[in-house]
Amino acid sequence: MPTSSGRLGRWAHRHARWLFPAPAVLLVAVIIVYPIAYTVWMSLQEWFASSLTAPHFIGLANYRKIALADARFQEAVGRTVYFTIVAVGAETVLGLAMALLFNRQFWGRGLLRTLAILPMVATPTAIGLVFVMMYHPSLGVANYLLSVVGLSPWRWTYSSQTALYALAMVDVWQWTPLIMLIALAGLASLPREPYEAAHLDGASTLRAFWHITLPLLRPALVVAVLFRAIDALKTFDIIFVMTQGGPANASETINILLFNQAFSYFNMGYASSMAVALFAVVMGASLILIKVRRSTTW
Amino acid sequence: MAARRLTRRAFLATAAAGAATGPFVFTPAKAQSFNWKRFQGKELFLMLTKHPFIDVLEKNIPEFESLSGMKVKWETLPEIQARQKMTVEMTANSGGIDAFFTSLHVEKKRFWKAGWYHPLNKFLQDTALTSPDFDWNDFSPGARSGVTQPDGSISALAAFIDANVFFYRKDLFGPKNLAPPKTLADLEPLVQKLHAPPGIYGIVLRGLKNANATQYPSILFPMGGTYLKDGKAALDTKEQVAAIDMYSKLLRQYGPPGVVNFNWYECSASFMQGQAAIYMDGVNFASQFEDATKSKVVGKVGYAVLPSGPGGHFSPIYITGMAVNAQSRNKEAAYLFCQWATNKANAVRELMAGVGVGRTSTWDSPEVKAKPKMPADWYQAYQASLKIGRQGLPEIVGVTEYRDIIGVAIQKAIEGAPPAQVLAQAQKDFQEMLNRTEG
Repeated sequence: MPTSSGRLGRWAHRHARWLFPAPAVLLVAVIIVYPIAYTVWMSLQEWFASSLTAPHFIGLANYRKIALADARFQEAVGRTVYFTIVAVGAETVLGLAMALLFNRQFWGRGLLRTLAILPMVATPTAIGLVFVMMYHPSLGVANYLLSVVGLSPWRWTYSSQTALYALAMVDVWQWTPLIMLIALAGLASLPREPYEAAHLDGASTLRAFWHITLPLLRPALVVAVLFRAIDALKTFDIIFVMTQGGPANASETINILLFNQAFSYFNMGYASSMAVALFAVVMGASLILIKVRRSTTW
Repeated sequence: MAARRLTRRAFLATAAAGAATGPFVFTPAKAQSFNWKRFQGKELFLMLTKHPFIDVLEKNIPEFESLSGMKVKWETLPEIQARQKMTVEMTANSGGIDAFFTSLHVEKKRFWKAGWYHPLNKFLQDTALTSPDFDWNDFSPGARSGVTQPDGSISALAAFIDANVFFYRKDLFGPKNLAPPKTLADLEPLVQKLHAPPGIYGIVLRGLKNANATQYPSILFPMGGTYLKDGKAALDTKEQVAAIDMYSKLLRQYGPPGVVNFNWYECSASFMQGQAAIYMDGVNFASQFEDATKSKVVGKVGYAVLPSGPGGHFSPIYITGMAVNAQSRNKEAAYLFCQWATNKANAVRELMAGVGVGRTSTWDSPEVKAKPKMPADWYQAYQASLKIGRQGLPEIVGVTEYRDIIGVAIQKAIEGAPPAQVLAQAQKDFQEMLNRTEG
């Protein structure tokens, strides 16, 4: 007995560098690699989620359709990217401004900072439902507030022209604090010396911000934008709750469309090919942003 | 073929028995002779949907448990989530669900083609499985055809039947001496007379895509339009153009702001807030109009049948039912539950609670008449609508996809696009989808 357990011990010792990570590798394989591989496999099939007819292999036909024939999908791609640029752009500007504000010392800063990050804690679905009520063109508080300051009512999510912006506003409301937090952490770690040098050289605050703060803060900001961009590209909950992609298809992003294809129309194979395409879009955006972070020049 | 013959024989047998023995065929003694306890000790699992019908039913499930000696477990999810869960369970062939609540207007053909409904024809004929007082012929013709497939197999027992009706504000109609419209031609002039924004808008109908597809037939059917002609898409006919033109014009000119994205929730909210003079939608929404905690128009709402038109007089109806899962290991026991859930006693309970059911015997039920929950014209409008009921959506596999296709066309028309143009696109998409799914 002692010999065999000793042998096992020696074997384990010899293979420790494989043995110890094995559970983690296995877990990743089962919950990440397998679903992705299965989705890719599914995307090469035509299947309507039926028990009587099995999936049948159609090669790249689904991809040919999304790339060449399906105008609804192509519009959804453009809309997804546009939504992300609008929402994340606004969040970055506002988040940075808030970070600069909260980086100063003033009375009540701690309390205000806590309040400012509250939207991040809320559940998107609940927020969506609340905003639907606030956006209601005749019963909602948003138009009431506009009327108080003398503006005429808007249609918010109730018009093709404004729906995407109204949704982006909800995203901005909820996620600006995330950019603020990351930027704030970045600001806190900045060295004092460059500012003192700039001050001695007579640089204005604006110039100091532009030439010192922003370049030094860039790595932190890129990380924040990366997080947000990945999230915004795959936004689902608020759109699904508030407009279901409407009016008409005016706020239908890739994720909403692929959800419809999979769970409303049951075109499982076709939806899988869209999921793979969305994966590629998110991956591409991430790679670009990571490259921006690594490059040393603006 | 065999299935169809069996069904017909079942109808005839039941009808003949009813005719021969008169009203005394269902004596208590006979009803008691039916053995509800055949599957005593079994356990059933049901997949239910959040729905007014289920709200009432759930409270009485313990009664079924003591009647049958079975244990019943169930899960109730919102409709869309329930459908997703069903799809996952069924494609995985888990067999864990014995019976389920099914929205036939969406699922009928897809679930049938996927082989998920267990055909009930043989069960309905089997006197050991179907209690003599169940009475299949008591269901209205629309309810019976709604649960029957093209090959004659019966996929479910009809539970809840929604019919589109005409809701109007009696207090606004009265002073102007107005009455609900008899024909579509009367509708727009009527709406125009009542339109007084921003206090009162002439009419509210669903604008949101997909949701609007269930209200559009209220105009389309009387206009003479249909979804299919000889199995081909028929969305670009002149009747369709006239219907979408009227639907979108009514909302564009006389609807509340933002109506293009209104689902039933926003529609009924603006009607209950007193902002709309006319609202056409499913009859079951009415129970909230008469609820003083939610509505400002309690007692002011009139109920009428939809107007007729050059194509005839119709009410689009939508049927949900109780179905037995073809993968269940307890199909007969599950059928007992479905049968109990849709029997006469439960139908009366539903109607008492203001939930519409497809059993004609409930209409004259003394219990309902003695304690009506809803105004008398609600019951009249509902019954009259069931008599002219027609399945509100095309009976195809891709119902949801169709609803999105026509829904987008309607929304574009409301926002001002030419009807013929949006329908041409819809026609193309619809035919492409039919080619893909109906083959």
